[in-house]
Amino acid sequence: MTLFKQMGLAVSLIIIIMLGAVMAINYQSAKQDMIQSLYETTVNNISTLTNKLAEASEDPALLVTTIDSEFDSGYYKMIDFKSNDGKSDYLQIDNDPVKDVPLWFINFTSIDLETVSADVSSGWSMVGVVSVAGDTGIIYKALYKMFINLLYIFVVSVISAQIVLAILLHFVLKPLYRVQNQAEAILKNEFVIQEKIPFTTEFKDVVYGMNAMVKKVEDIFNKGNEAAQRNKELLYNDPTTKLFNRRYLMLKLSDLIKAENKANGGTVMFVALSGAEVINQVLGRQKADDMFFELGDIFKDVCRKYEDKVLARVNGTEFTLMLPNCESQDANTIAQRILTRFDELVLAHELNQEDVFINLGLYRYKPTVNIGELLTRADNALTQAKADEAIHMYLYEEKDDENAMGKEQWRNVIEDSIANNYFSLKFWPTLNASTKNIDHKVMTFTIDGGENKKYFYGDFIAPAINLGLVSKMYIVTLKDLLVKPHKELDSSICSIRLSNEFIKDTKAFEELSLMFAKHAKSLNFKLFFEVTDNFAINNTAAVKNFVDLFAKYGFGFGINTFSGESSDYTYLKQLNPQFLKADCAFLLDQSQDSMSAIQVVTDSLSIKIIATFVKTKEELSTLQTMHINSVQGPVTDSIQKA
Amino acid sequence: MKILTSLLLFFFVSTSTLFGAQLITNKLISDAQRKYNTFAKNRFLAIRKKLIKDLKNANDMKKLNVVNTWVNYIKYASDKKVYGVSDYWATLYEFVGKGRGDCEDYTIAKYYILKELGISPKRLKFTYVVYKNRRGKRISHMVLSYLKVPKPRKKSDILILDNNNRLMLPATKRKDIVKVVKMINGDTGAKSKKWKKLEAGMRRKKL
Repeated sequence: MTLFKQMGLAVSLIIIIMLGAVMAINYQSAKQDMIQSLYETTVNNISTLTNKLAEASEDPALLVTTIDSEFDSGYYKMIDFKSNDGKSDYLQIDNDPVKDVPLWFINFTSIDLETVSADVSSGWSMVGVVSVAGDTGIIYKALYKMFINLLYIFVVSVISAQIVLAILLHFVLKPLYRVQNQAEAILKNEFVIQEKIPFTTEFKDVVYGMNAMVKKVEDIFNKGNEAAQRNKELLYNDPTTKLFNRRYLMLKLSDLIKAENKANGGTVMFVALSGAEVINQVLGRQKADDMFFELGDIFKDVCRKYEDKVLARVNGTEFTLMLPNCESQDANTIAQRILTRFDELVLAHELNQEDVFINLGLYRYKPTVNIGELLTRADNALTQAKADEAIHMYLYEEKDDENAMGKEQWRNVIEDSIANNYFSLKFWPTLNASTKNIDHKVMTFTIDGGENKKYFYGDFIAPAINLGLVSKMYIVTLKDLLVKPHKELDSSICSIRLSNEFIKDTKAFEELSLMFAKHAKSLNFKLFFEVTDNFAINNTAAVKNFVDLFAKYGFGFGINTFSGESSDYTYLKQLNPQFLKADCAFLLDQSQDSMSAIQVVTDSLSIKIIATFVKTKEELSTLQTMHINSVQGPVTDSIQKA
Repeated sequence: MKILTSLLLFFFVSTSTLFGAQLITNKLISDAQRKYNTFAKNRFLAIRKKLIKDLKNANDMKKLNVVNTWVNYIKYASDKKVYGVSDYWATLYEFVGKGRGDCEDYTIAKYYILKELGISPKRLKFTYVVYKNRRGKRISHMVLSYLKVPKPRKKSDILILDNNNRLMLPATKRKDIVKVVKMINGDTGAKSKKWKKLEAGMRRKKL
C-alpha cells in the first residue's frame, strides 16, 4: 500500500472517529434535553389538569369532557384518572404507532419517559389520582429528523474532509512522488537528477542524498566509458588512419563471415599500397601520415552504406575491407571508386601515379567459408590484381553450388513451413560456471517438414531475408513459443536472438504487440530477447521501441555479439540491457585495463556479461578470473557432465 | 380588463382543479364506490352538488343550516362500534364513506364543508360540552359553534351545530348543553397531535 493511501486511511479514520464521536455526543445530549423538556412540560400540564379535574370531580360527564378536551388539544400519550371511589375512572390513551419513523430507529433510540402522577383533591377530600404520559412520538420524530440531518452532515463532512485531505496530501507528498520516480529511474539504471528541492526538511535531505548518489554512479559510468574507449583505441585502432587494426579484424572475422544478411555472405577486399617509401621520401613523415589518414577516409566514405563493415589496416601498406552483405557487383563499383579516388589523392599530393598505386583483391565469400579459406582466397585475388597492371583489381567469386536450391524453391519451403508451422524450436543452455546451473536457454529453430525437408537456421535465414519472409517466420515461431507448452522451459529463462530484419519491419512490431497482448500473460517462464550489438548501435531508436514493448510485458532484453565497436556506450544506457553476450575470444583479448573499464560501465548499469563460444576449460578459468561466470559454448557440455 | 379578469379567474379555477385542491374530487368519488358502495358514492356526489355547488352563492345562514341538516342525516354510531377504539377522530371522507360516526365526526364534517363554502374557519369552534339528554343523563359531547360576530360577548351570538338536535339554534336556546368546557380552533390555531393526524388524513383523502 502506498504511503498516500496509508496516510489517507489513517487521517480518514481519525476524522470519522472524531466526527462520529461529536455527533454521538450531540445526539445523546439532544435526546436527554428533549426527554427532560417533555418531562417538565408534562409536570406543568398535570398541575393545570389537576385543578380542572378538581372542579369537575363531582360530575363524571364533565370529568370526561375535561380530560378529552385536554387530551385532544395537546401532545399526550396517555391521561389516566383513577377516582378513589372507583366510580368515575377514565383513561385516554393513544396506542397508534409513531408515524414517519422507522421501527429500527425506535428500537435503537428506546426512550423511556417517566409517567407523571398527581393527586386530585377537592376541598379537603382526595378525589383521585391522575397520571399523565407525554407523547414520546414527538421526541422520536425530532430525534429521527436530527439523526438524518446529522447523517447528511457526517457524510458531507467526511467527503469534504477526504477531498481536502487528498489535495493536502497530494501537495505534501508531491516531493515524495518525485523521489519515488527518481528511485524507480535508478532501478532502471537511468540517471535522473532532481532539480526541484522539496520544502519539507526530511524530503530535502533524501533528495540531496539521492542526487549525490545518482551523480556518483553517472560519474562512474562516464569514467568507465571514457576509459573503455581509450583502451579500445589503443588496442584495436591504427593511430594513423583511425581504421581498425589487424587484431580487431581477426577477432571480428568469424562473426562477420556468419552474419545473417540478404547477400548470404559478402565481399572482402585486400588493398595493397605500392610506393609507400616514395610517399615517405617525397612528402616527409608528417604529410605521408596525413595522406594515409585521407586514404582511410576514402575507404570509410565509399563503404558508408554497409553497417556491419570492418575497415582495418593490417600492416603498413595493406588494408582489409570486410563488407558483409556486399554483392560482387557492388564490390566492383566500390573498388573502382577507391581506385579513382586514390588516383585523385596521388595527384593532389603531386606524386607520380606510376610510383604510387594500389591493387585490390576482392573475394565474394559465403557464410560457409572459414577464416583461413577467406584469407587465402582474398590473397590470391590480390596476387591476381597485382599481376594485372592495367586494371589493378581482381574479383574472385565462387560459383554457386549446382545442387543448391533456387530462390523459388526456398520460397516454397519457407512459405510452406510458415503455413503449416514446420518450425521446430531448439533450446541451448547457458551455464553459470560457478553454480554449475543453467542460467538460461537460448532458443533457435530449424525447419522440420518431414523426410528431405529438414533445414538448419543457417541454411534458410539468408533466403528468408532475400524473400522478405523473416518477420512472418519469427511471428510463427514466437507464437509457437508463447502458446504451446514447452516443458523444458518450465520456471526457467528463455532467450531469443531476433533477426535484424525483424526489428527493421514496422509491421512485425504491430504483430508482436498484438501477440503479446493476447498471449504474454500466461507464460510459466521468463522470456528475454536479444539483438546484435552492431545493429543496436546503428538503430538505437528502433531497438528502444522493442525494448519498451518487452518491458511492458515483463520481458527482458540483452545484446549479443558485443565487440565494443561503438565509440560511446551511451546506447547501453538508453537500451538498458540486462546482459551483454560477447565472444570468448574478444573478452580474452582485452587488456586488464580495457576489461576493467568495460566492467565499470556494465556494473554501473547492472549489466551481466555472458561469454559465448567458450571452448576449453582454460578459457573458462581465465574468464572466471575476470569475474565472468555465465558462459555458452562447447565447454558447457564438459561442465554439465562433471 | 374584463377579459383579463376572466382569464385570471379561469386560470385560478383550472389550476385548483388540476392540483386536486377540491374537497370532493372525481377520484375520491370513484374510490368511495370501490371501497364502500354506491350509497357512499352518492353521498359524496350530494355534498359536491347540493352543498358545495348549490350553496355557493347562498348566504352564511343558509349554508350553516343546510350543511347542519344534511350532515345530521348521517347515522350516529360510537367510535368503539365503527373503529373499535374508544376515541377516534374520523376524516370527513371516512365519516361520509362509512355513513356513521360519533359527535366529533359530525363536527369535523360540518367544519370542512363550511370551510369549503367560504365560512371563515375562525368563526367555527370545536366545543367540548356536557350535554343532558331527555332522560336527564349528563354526557360528554362535542358540537360545532358558529360565532356570529368575531368576539361574541353573549350566548345569543353563538349558533350551535349539533348532531343531537337537527336544528341549528343559538346557544341561548340550548338548555340541554349544561356546561361548556372548552372551545378550540380548527386548523387555524395551535395544532394538537390529534389535529395534525386529522389534517394528514384529510390531505390524503383518507377514506
